[in-house]
Amino acid sequence: MTNLSPLTEVTPEVPRSRNRWRGLLPRWSPRLGAGLGLAGAIVLFGLIGPLLTSDPATIRDIGLTPPSGEHVLGTTVTGQDILAQLALSTRGSLQIGLLVGIMATLLSGVFGIAGAYAGGVVDEVFSLFSNVMLVIPGLPLVIVIAGFVPPDQRGTATISLVLAITGWAAAARVLRAQTLSLRNRDYVAAARVSGEKTWRVICVEILPNLLPILASQFVFAVVLAILSEAGLSFLGLGAANSSTLGTMLYYAQNGFALQREAWWWFVPPGLIIALFGGALALINFSIDEIINPKLRDRARRKRDVVAVLPETAAAEQDAVLTVKNLNVVYQADTPVHAVKDVSLTLRRGEILGLAGESGCGKTTLAYAINRLHRPPAEVTSGSVVFHDRDGEDIDVLALAPEELRAFRWVKLSMVFQGAMNSLNPVTPVRAQLQDVLRTHRSDMSTSDREQQCVEVFRLVGIDPERLGSYPHELSGGMRQRVMIATALLLDPQVMIMDEPTTALDVLVQREILNEIRRLRDELSFAVVFITHDLPLLLELSDRIAVMRDGEVIEYSTAEDLYLRPQHPYTRQLLASFPSLTGERGALIP
Amino acid sequence: MTTLEVRGLTKTFHKLCAVDDVSFTLTPGRTVALVGESGSGKSTIARMIARLVRPTSGEIVLTGQDGEPVPQRKYRDHVQMIFQDPFASLNPFHTVEHHLARPLRLHGRSRAEVPHLLERVSLTPDFAHRRPHELSGGQRQRVAIARALAPGAKVIVADEPVSMLDVSIRLGVLKLLARLQREENLAVLYITHDLATARHFSDEVLVMHRGRIVERGDSDDVLTRPEDPYTRRLAAAAPDPETRFSSARFSRGGPS
Repeated sequence: MTNLSPLTEVTPEVPRSRNRWRGLLPRWSPRLGAGLGLAGAIVLFGLIGPLLTSDPATIRDIGLTPPSGEHVLGTTVTGQDILAQLALSTRGSLQIGLLVGIMATLLSGVFGIAGAYAGGVVDEVFSLFSNVMLVIPGLPLVIVIAGFVPPDQRGTATISLVLAITGWAAAARVLRAQTLSLRNRDYVAAARVSGEKTWRVICVEILPNLLPILASQFVFAVVLAILSEAGLSFLGLGAANSSTLGTMLYYAQNGFALQREAWWWFVPPGLIIALFGGALALINFSIDEIINPKLRDRARRKRDVVAVLPETAAAEQDAVLTVKNLNVVYQADTPVHAVKDVSLTLRRGEILGLAGESGCGKTTLAYAINRLHRPPAEVTSGSVVFHDRDGEDIDVLALAPEELRAFRWVKLSMVFQGAMNSLNPVTPVRAQLQDVLRTHRSDMSTSDREQQCVEVFRLVGIDPERLGSYPHELSGGMRQRVMIATALLLDPQVMIMDEPTTALDVLVQREILNEIRRLRDELSFAVVFITHDLPLLLELSDRIAVMRDGEVIEYSTAEDLYLRPQHPYTRQLLASFPSLTGERGALIP
Repeated sequence: MTTLEVRGLTKTFHKLCAVDDVSFTLTPGRTVALVGESGSGKSTIARMIARLVRPTSGEIVLTGQDGEPVPQRKYRDHVQMIFQDPFASLNPFHTVEHHLARPLRLHGRSRAEVPHLLERVSLTPDFAHRRPHELSGGQRQRVAIARALAPGAKVIVADEPVSMLDVSIRLGVLKLLARLQREENLAVLYITHDLATARHFSDEVLVMHRGRIVERGDSDDVLTRPEDPYTRRLAAAAPDPETRFSSARFSRGGPS
């Protein structure tokens, strides 16, 4: 991403994939390899095994011989070769699993996807039907249905149908939820605006994005079918004249294999069922990772020792926070250097603006200053020193966990991006404010705590009556004020605000900005204000640092930055905000 | 001369009146800006014009070049929409070519026009084979603009087309829209919360507040000399560094 020309757009560097399906394939991992290897081996055994082994039905007079050279897995009570039976039964079980998997996936697709896309009454009816099918206990129903059908009509197809009918409902609900979310995406709306027919919208726009989920549900249905079929057959309710792993177990049970300690008869089929189930589960985990990339294993490295630079030069006179040559790296497959050699000084009572576009590292920097960054982000070098009111210097990067807890929020508090939505919706805001006090000022009396909460609410201009309100009873602007009140509770010397007004409308943003300015004047804390909105910073801050690709490319007073911008990127940013008052028409080419 | 006239448009959601008796006309070669805060009903108007939402009452009349009303089934040949979030409005599964070829085919044109469409939005033809995640936000929005142009639409509804983009590329996308509008003589409805770009990129402004149009008129007049108290508050609330530093500029004679 080293693009030297500031006026061209940076294209994300993504490895070009010729194959559109590649994004849908699971990432290679040992887990996936093991799963595929195991499942593949079992499938191969089921496919080829019956061709290579002797006739499994041949009866010999060597009942219950243990494994030997001639019969690798021994024989049954009637002298049939168990390896041959195992191969044939595996094939039978796989056939049923595959058949049920396909049918159940089709059923869940029709009821889940079509219902959710159609919406309205159709969705209600389909969803009700799936829910009813879901609460009917599967195996007992299967037993009843299977028992009801006369044995001579109980073919593989019938059993598969019964298993499919009892096994699709859960998948339908998952698909419905996902389709409901997908159908409200803008690209579906866009396809409708271009005049696409409904079936095409479903098949071409929605279905491909559901493929990972469908695949995972299919795999799950196969496992479930094989297990249920084994259960049924073991109870003697399986398909007539079929041989599956379940029927093998059934005959082993009838032949008193367990009592006669003929382990070679019942262990192999049980093991194959377990191994195949396990293998498919492993594959499913890998498919889940496509749906939810957060599940992917991150390269978790040992934390490198932070090379804290010794304090060389004396800190600036009235500085409250000094950041020196700070580097933050995201330790991914290809490490991303998110913050490069950043040095900033925050003076007491100053508003420092941090401007930059998405991905420039401004939020990472803010988090690193407060040690809130999480792996894979890592501070590789540099120092953050906090200069306390009483003259003590605190090396933030060297604080022990206990000291860090005592430092955060007390000396330096934060208002997060989208913070107004981060209030706990189930407790009144009073409880959330008091929580902070209880953690950091445990010696405070209850009435003092209440007094302090009332105090900060007055400060941010909310009626203290509203302390009893739940977050949803407050407007967006009010919630943002509550967040600022929470940040003020412990009388911090520095407040870091990460895009505190981006989600707000301009009128509310104006109120909050006036509030911040007034509070700063009254309480004289210093503010680091992070936003992409340069005009806002120019109006509000004393000094501004412009960040780009992790570097501070310009750092000066607001006035200098506005009247005498040095870096071409700063000039480009300034030119990106047309003025409401300036000359009109100059912008149109 | 394809003209879109909106008369007495009203939409209520569960008794909540999102859009209340709104009327305006979009004419070729002119951009009308619809400004307002979130929840003012401006996106609902866009969705009603794009036929994604059915109006509760009122009508949307499209008049074709021959002066006759355009038949319903031809509506989408003429009216297209650009969505706010280019990260959501392109299907991650499909290539750029799919996004452009489908509307071309649906409206009786050849997919051979894809490279030409890409050129019109200042992208090179080799973008056709890329997929959305390989494009930056600005490039995605250009593709979305090309998609809206693909059916040969003459009326374009742009719902906050740049608010999700990085600031440094916003003007580029707006300039592109302005250029296309002039070249193709399009009628554009530009929906935004940003008064400054509304002023620079539109001929007429409608200010919406709680579902109603509170002020309308020539964009320069409305936004520099607002009469309605709400418009005045909006205009005053926008950050404006000029007032803070204008005295410094004069006293020091700094470069402008």
